[in-house]
Amino acid sequence: MSILTDLRIAAVGDIHLGEDDRGRYRKKLEGIEDRADVLMVAGDLTRHGTMEEGQVVADELRGLPIPVVAVLGNHDYHSDLQYEIAGELRDAGVVVLDDDGTVIQCGDRKLGVVGGKGFGGGFAGKCASEFGEREIKNFVAHTRYIAESWKVALKEIVAEERVVLSHYSPIKETLEGEPPEIYPFLGSYLLAEAVDTAGADLILHGHAHKGSEKGMTPGGIRVRNVALPVLGRAYAVYCLDCEGGL
Amino acid sequence: MEAPQYVAARVQQAMAEDGRTHELGIRVDIRGDQLFLRGQVSGPGQRERLGQVAHEAAPELHLHNEIQVVEAGEPGEDEHLD
Ligand SMILES: [Fe+2]
Ligand SMILES: [Fe+2]
Repeated sequence: MSILTDLRIAAVGDIHLGEDDRGRYRKKLEGIEDRADVLMVAGDLTRHGTMEEGQVVADELRGLPIPVVAVLGNHDYHSDLQYEIAGELRDAGVVVLDDDGTVIQCGDRKLGVVGGKGFGGGFAGKCASEFGEREIKNFVAHTRYIAESWKVALKEIVAEERVVLSHYSPIKETLEGEPPEIYPFLGSYLLAEAVDTAGADLILHGHAHKGSEKGMTPGGIRVRNVALPVLGRAYAVYCLDCEGGL
Repeated sequence: MEAPQYVAARVQQAMAEDGRTHELGIRVDIRGDQLFLRGQVSGPGQRERLGQVAHEAAPELHLHNEIQVVEAGEPGEDEHLD
């Protein structure tokens, strides 16, 4: 039995649904309203980012009894249909964040959610910088722009609790298990720096299928890698501010 | 003869870029004329497609498809963050 003021966040990423998965993930969401107040989906909803796959995802998430917030992942961008897929999801009632924020009323509490896909670049000491070729500068500038947008959105949002939802990772710890050579493609410390500056209660991300679930930013904000292969279960549930616990 | 490292890289690239699979996390090992695929996917269809794409990228090698199919289990216990 949980206390009334608990805020229970169900989270999963990298569900990677294809056209042959219709109905399969939805079954696993049955009864979610008894376990959580909101579902957050951390990107890579599809395999190749096609419209058909986007429709499968939208149908799987449509009409759930709790609010659903999602961001897209790199796979959802693969066919250059990210805006169309986001539109499809919004039509199904999913709040899709794109470097902005939303406030969800959970009982008597306001939950602020800020986020987007995020991007790579690497981690302090071993990262790309805005120097040299245009291609490298564009790569780093893209991450910087995203981090800046999240910082602004976090500062502006009015809510009791704040959660950041991303696809790429803000820290290295939750990548443990992945080959270190590919860390720069899995996340960027700029995301963590922005969130540490603006403040938040929890950061959720996916993308690193072979990573680890738990980590923390340098500023002490809890980070959870909720990629489905990492969790090994349909979704995780995180409880914010559970005074007195169970 | 092409070095096995380059063949493995080509197979990996094929599985990532081929429209049938787009799978990035599969490990490829080559020993002699044997090709090994390892990793986890969410369904048997994807495992078969990966085997097919890998075979097409290196048809001269004998394929061992050791990819595991892992179904997502029931949601487990809550974690309390305080
Ligand atoms: Fe993924
Ligand atoms: Fe991803």
